[in-house]
Amino acid sequence: MSEVNVIDAVKRYDSVVALGGVSLRFAEGQLFGLLGPSGSGKTTLLRAIAGFVTLDRGRVLIDGQDIGGVPVHARNIGMMFQNYALFPHMSVAENVAFGLEVRNLPKSEVQARVKDALGMVRLTGLEARRPKQLSGGQQQRVALARALVTRPKVLLLDEPLGALDKHLRQEMQIELRRIQRAVGITTIFVTHDQEEALTLSDRIAIFEAGKIVQEGPPMEVYERPRSKFAAGFLGEANFLTGRVEAISGGCATVALDVGGQAQCALETAAAGQAVTLALRPEKIGFAPAAAGETPGPNQVRGRVTDVVFSGNSTTYRVAVGEQTMTLFRQNLTGSAIAPGADVLLSWSGDHLVAVTP
Amino acid sequence: MSVADRRDRGAILALTGPAYLWLTATIFLPLSAMLYVSFLDKSPLVPQPASFTLKHYEAFLAKPVYPQLMLWSLELGALVTVFCLLIGYPAALALAKVVKGRWREALFLLVVLPFWSNALVRTFSWTMVLRPGGLADQAIHVVAPGAPALDILYSYPAVVIGLVHSYLPYMILTCYISLQAIDDSVIEAARSLGARPWHLLRRVIFPMSLPGVLAGSALIFVPAVGSFMEPRILGGTKGAALGMAIEEQFTVTANWPFGGALSFVMLAAVLLICLALYPVARRRMEGL
Amino acid sequence: MQSLGARLLTGYLWLVLLFLYVPILVMAAMGFNASPLYALPFDFDLIWYRELAGNAKLINAGINSVGIAVANTLIATALGTMAALAFARYQFRGKTVLQLLLFPPVAIPWLVIGTAMLVFFYWIGIKRGLVAILLGHVALSLPYVIVVVGARLATFPRAVEEAAATLGATPWQTFRRITAPILAPGVIGGALFAFAVSFDQFVISYFLAPPGTTTLPVEIYGAIRKGFTPEINAISTIIIVVSMGVLLLTARFYRFGGEK
Repeated sequence: MSEVNVIDAVKRYDSVVALGGVSLRFAEGQLFGLLGPSGSGKTTLLRAIAGFVTLDRGRVLIDGQDIGGVPVHARNIGMMFQNYALFPHMSVAENVAFGLEVRNLPKSEVQARVKDALGMVRLTGLEARRPKQLSGGQQQRVALARALVTRPKVLLLDEPLGALDKHLRQEMQIELRRIQRAVGITTIFVTHDQEEALTLSDRIAIFEAGKIVQEGPPMEVYERPRSKFAAGFLGEANFLTGRVEAISGGCATVALDVGGQAQCALETAAAGQAVTLALRPEKIGFAPAAAGETPGPNQVRGRVTDVVFSGNSTTYRVAVGEQTMTLFRQNLTGSAIAPGADVLLSWSGDHLVAVTP
Repeated sequence: MSVADRRDRGAILALTGPAYLWLTATIFLPLSAMLYVSFLDKSPLVPQPASFTLKHYEAFLAKPVYPQLMLWSLELGALVTVFCLLIGYPAALALAKVVKGRWREALFLLVVLPFWSNALVRTFSWTMVLRPGGLADQAIHVVAPGAPALDILYSYPAVVIGLVHSYLPYMILTCYISLQAIDDSVIEAARSLGARPWHLLRRVIFPMSLPGVLAGSALIFVPAVGSFMEPRILGGTKGAALGMAIEEQFTVTANWPFGGALSFVMLAAVLLICLALYPVARRRMEGL
Repeated sequence: MQSLGARLLTGYLWLVLLFLYVPILVMAAMGFNASPLYALPFDFDLIWYRELAGNAKLINAGINSVGIAVANTLIATALGTMAALAFARYQFRGKTVLQLLLFPPVAIPWLVIGTAMLVFFYWIGIKRGLVAILLGHVALSLPYVIVVVGARLATFPRAVEEAAATLGATPWQTFRRITAPILAPGVIGGALFAFAVSFDQFVISYFLAPPGTTTLPVEIYGAIRKGFTPEINAISTIIIVVSMGVLLLTARFYRFGGEK
């Protein structure tokens, strides 16, 4: 159980800035997700913590100690690679034992710990198999066991669930959380899959172009994004632009560009100011619009252009003015609204979040 | 792969140094030395000092026999290459696209194996087949008893046959690699668009396998032009090749400068041909 | 199930194979025929192999060939593997040039290379002999070793080395326990290639061999020039069997043709 601190990390490759001054604190025992598109710097940071990347500026501290000059093999970290990187010429047991053998532990202890590790990832009985003979999910468990058996201070995961199919992914998400909680090890993982980030993390940091755009518990980052990028990358969002008409007591009235009004709490706003408001699709309610019905505040009128059924929910695309808004509805009632219908969309002002464009 | 920085340079030097030092000492320096020698008026074997001269290169042009030999050798090289292509390409096609599974590996191995065994021995084996009373002669007499005895050994066709046999696996190998890389789905797409076999071959498969064809051709043409062993063994007195003339300068007449000059004229000719064809090849291979 | 065209092609392939092997088989067969004039009918006899056993020149040449081939294998494999490692691990200026420089030994006619070596070695005082021959063979083997090992390195899963490092292995431990075992098949394949290249090499040996001490192919050439005798068939058969045997071994260690 260790605390990891990254202070002002900078890394440049020729003219490309991979990390432009990143600072993060990974608390003891936390499962921390680094999320972002490819090239945003998240993997660079992970590899800097591992020791494969030397930072141009900044420091990495584990338990308060600067590990900058420490070579990879002396850092006592555990790492799980994207394609698992199992040693093809060794059996499962030999793979898991490797880290312990390198530390010159007595044979009996090695055997005991390998047994425990394999038990923990539920692979007992497969000790003699070669990686080639295992399924993707099994290979991943071996990689996890191998990384954890040495009792490292930190566990690093590079796109842990990327190579798995949907069911396996969901299963492994639960497994990973269970094991991480049981062992209590500080875990940092990298992903470009926002669903994975949301389900696994205690805390998320969203990366864009080498910088952190937002950081916090998943729910907070999801419900209260601060930028358009963060709102759009973590889940889907509708963006309503408009101008503040009036403010009274922290509650602002915004004239929407698509027509109509929104009312919500905006902390820092002045009359006449342009704002962009983010609204999550699942927060929008709708009903067929009667002819001539005019929308009130936090309501707009539109026409359904697309209906996509996805099992437990249905996605509607509604043309509102020049814009298309998206909303999700859980399939509680059997009746769906058909394309072409006129609808009235409504939402609560609490669910509007002002974001930087 | 990491971009090398200062620390790595030492490692790179240590790793590549020995091999390339060896190559320099045994290939590049000798070639330069040969070039130098070709401009000397006396052979290095002779104790007197030598001076710069162009007479060996002039001699090449002066006596018509040498340009003639060069032409014959180029012709031989071209002929062998073309035959290897005509015979080898369909075989490579069969191997890459028709044969499947374990057979493919086994057959591929069978094709490549002779190539890697001794060329001298294989050339010799053709004398067994082609000489009067040999296998070919016997076979013909089984079919046509009244035919005259086969007298093909020690003739130009024999040399061609021997060289083709020697280099055929090379062509099959390079064409196979290229053909095998062609995605089956591209071929299926062409067929779904209505392409019949000949069209498919001419407009889709062959163009896409061009790199293999050209690589094989280049790797066959050059050695074939410079061959001397096969012409000598299979051609006897009728075998005439520039390679043989060059060889003689070093074993019989000890006229090293002239031998060197001949070598470089040959290399130059081959290089010119390759350079001339290069832009054409480049254009044809765009996008592959 | 196959179309007519496909079946024709396959049949054609077998014909080509026939073309490739018949002369060799005939030659081998004639080595077991008693007649010294290759006259039929076929009379099985091992007489020529017995003659071989007493032919000191050929046997010496054979020993030379094997000795040089072994030395060549050791040197070329070591040098070539190192170079291949450098190419696979690093990206550096001049890398392309170095890789292009591997072509001349393969592409330039061995006649030219052999005679050039003759000239150059004479100048720097290396006499014709087994050492000179070895120098030449290694030069010719290097490109093949580099390509074969390089191909194996290309499919080498780099991440396993990083994984080993995270598990606490020092660079040396990583090399010894992870890199080397995974690389071994490719290196062995390259080594066998080098052996075959050297064992079968004729042209370079021809120019660099002094009278009296030669390699097997050169000796055979001399014998052929004097006239055909089935003894030549016998030794040729032995050579072919050895070469093919080595190559079959190589195939086990190195998958040809891009099959994964």
